[in-house]
Amino acid sequence: MISAHSVRKTYPDGQGGEARVLDRVDLEVKAGEFVAILGRSGSGKSTLLHILGGLDSDYQGEVQLGGTLLSGLSDRQLAKFRNRQVGFVFQAFHLLPNLRAIDNVLLPAFFSSRPDAEADRQRAQLVLARVGLLAKSERLPSQLSGGERQRVAIARALLHGPKVLLCDEPTGNLDEHTGAEVIALFRELHREGLTLLAVTHEERISAAAQRVLKLEGGTLSDLGTGGNGH
Amino acid sequence: MTARSLTRLVLLGIRRDLGGTLFSAFGVCIGVGSLVFFVAFGLGVARIIREKIFPVDRAMVEVAPPAISVGSFGTRLDQERINRLAALEDVAAVYRKMNVRLPALSRYEGAFFGAQLRMRVEVLAMGVDAALLGKEARLSPFADPPPGQPIPGIVSTRLLEIYNKSFAPPRNLPQLTPTLVLGFTFPVEFNSSMISAPLAGEPIHAQVQVVGASDHAMLAGITIPLETAIRINRAAHVDADTFTGATLLARSVDRVPHLVAEVKKMGLKIDDPDRQYGETVGVAVMLTTSAFALLSGLICLLAAANIAHALSTSIGSRASEIGIMRAVGGSRADIRSLILAEAALIGLVGGGVGTLGAVLFGRALDAASQAYLPPFPFKPETFFQYSWEVTVGGIALGVLAALVGAYGPSRRAAAIDPAQVLAQ
Repeated sequence: MISAHSVRKTYPDGQGGEARVLDRVDLEVKAGEFVAILGRSGSGKSTLLHILGGLDSDYQGEVQLGGTLLSGLSDRQLAKFRNRQVGFVFQAFHLLPNLRAIDNVLLPAFFSSRPDAEADRQRAQLVLARVGLLAKSERLPSQLSGGERQRVAIARALLHGPKVLLCDEPTGNLDEHTGAEVIALFRELHREGLTLLAVTHEERISAAAQRVLKLEGGTLSDLGTGGNGH
Repeated sequence: MTARSLTRLVLLGIRRDLGGTLFSAFGVCIGVGSLVFFVAFGLGVARIIREKIFPVDRAMVEVAPPAISVGSFGTRLDQERINRLAALEDVAAVYRKMNVRLPALSRYEGAFFGAQLRMRVEVLAMGVDAALLGKEARLSPFADPPPGQPIPGIVSTRLLEIYNKSFAPPRNLPQLTPTLVLGFTFPVEFNSSMISAPLAGEPIHAQVQVVGASDHAMLAGITIPLETAIRINRAAHVDADTFTGATLLARSVDRVPHLVAEVKKMGLKIDDPDRQYGETVGVAVMLTTSAFALLSGLICLLAAANIAHALSTSIGSRASEIGIMRAVGGSRADIRSLILAEAALIGLVGGGVGTLGAVLFGRALDAASQAYLPPFPFKPETFFQYSWEVTVGGIALGVLAALVGAYGPSRRAAAIDPAQVLAQ
C-alpha cells in the first residue's frame, strides 16, 4: 500500500548549511496494516507523514501510495491524490470554526472534480454516524468537546473512502479518556480493513498498532509488533 | 473545484468575516460610485453642449473664403468654386450661404404675444439654400417671395432658448416656442442702422415673417432664402456674386477629415465656430470631470490597496484553514481562485452598490435642479448620461480593483506550505 525508498529530506539550518531530517528512509506498509511510527518531537515524523500523503513534495527518493508514484505529480495531480487516496488526521483537528460539523466533513467534497451534493451529504452523514456524531452534525466546532472535534476530523478524513488514514499525533490534544476513545475508533477502522499509519510519541497508540517503527536520527528502525500485532 | 463549490466556499469565507468584507466593499463602493457619478456628469454636460448649446452635425463642414480675398488675387467663393466643391468625391451636397451685405434695422412697436413690445434692434440676415432649411419652413415655402409679400425667415431654436431663459423673464415678456412664433411678422429696413453709416442709396423696406425654427439657423439674426439675400444685395449694388460661406454635407462622417483636407487644398478655410466652441467647451468640461474621475480612480486604487491589506491580514489568520483545504484536496490554483473569487464578490457588491448610488444621487440632483434651480438657457432635464457602458464599466472597475488588490494576497495564500502550517 505504502512504499518509500531512500527518502531524504533536508532543511536549511539557518547557518548556511542543511539539517538532514530524513536520511534514506525505507518503508513498506501493506494494505490493511496499522503501523505506528514513534519518535521524539522534531525527529521528522510529521515530515515523513506529509511526504507519504503528498503534502510535501520537496524531498529526494521515491514514494508510492496505492500504486501512485508521487514524485513527478503536478500540484493539481497531488491535490487530486490527497482528495481521493488519503485522509489526514491532525493533532490540532484543524476544523473550520465557522462551519458546522457536517460541513467540515464535507470539506473534501468542495475540492472534488465530480461533486454530487446529495451523495456527498449522505456519505457525510454515514461517516458521522460511523464516528458516533450524527446527532451533533449541525453543531459548530466550538460546541463540541475535544474528542468530538477529533472524531469530526476523522469523519472528514474518511469522506471519500481513502486507501490510507495518515494520523499526526491524533491524541496529542486529548485527555486520556477521550484519547482512548479515538484509539478505539482507529482499531475499529483497522478491523474494517482500513490501512492506518500514525506518527506519535505516545505509547498507547503503539499499543494499538500492529507494527511499530521508530524514527531516530533520520532513519527508521523496526521495533517489532505492537499491542495489536498478530 | 467546480464553480458551485467555489461559490459556496466564497460565501462561507465572507460570512466568516462579514465586517471586514463590508468595509472592503465600502471602499470599492465609494471609489466606483464617485467615478461613475463624475463620468456620467461629464458625458451628460458634454451631450448638452454638443446637442443643445453648440449643435453640430458631424457630417457637415462649414466652408468660408479666406479672410484676405481681394478681387481676383484671392480665393473667391463664387459659383464656379461652389461647383468644384460639389464635384469633390466626399461631398454629398453643397448648401450656399450669403449674408445680406448691408446693415439692417428693425423697429417694432406693437402687440407681442399678449404683451406690448417696443424695440429697435440691428438685424443680421443671411440667405441660405432652401435645400438646407426648406424642410424647417412650416408656414410657407422657404423661397424668395413675390413683391409685396413678407420674406420667409427661420429663427434659431437656440435664440429662442436664450430669449426664454434670459431675455424674457426680467422684461415680463411671454415665453416663446418654435410653434408659437410661426407667423410673427416684423419690419426690417435694409441699408439702415443705428451704429454704422448706411451705404449710398435708399433704405429697402421689407417685412419678415417667421416660418420656422431650426438649430441650423443663424444664431444672432434671421435666416432667409438665398435668392432673397442675392436680390437685396443686387438692389443695393453690393457683391451679389460671391458667397459668404457654404455648408458641405459629407458622404459619411468618416470622410470628414479627408474632405477638410481637400477644401483647404482649394485655398478655402474651415469656418465652424459652433464646432470649435463646442469642442473647446467640451474639452474643458471633460478635463474638469476627468480630474474628478482621476480622483475617483485614486479612491479605487486606495480601495484596492485596502482589499490587499485586509486580505493579507485575513490570510495570515487563515493559514491553517488554507492548509487544511490543501490537505483535503485543494490545489494551489484552487486557493488562488478562492481568494480572487472572494475579492471579485467584494468588488461586484461594492461596484454594484456604488454604481446604483451614483445613479440615484444623479437622479436626486436632477430632481433638485428641476425643483429649485431657476430657469436658464439650455437647462437640461438631466445633467447625467448613465449609459450602459458607464454603469457596466463601473461595476467591472469595482471587480477589477478588487482583483488587483487580491492578486498579491492570492499568490501568497497559494504559496502557503500546508505541511508547515498543519504541523504547528
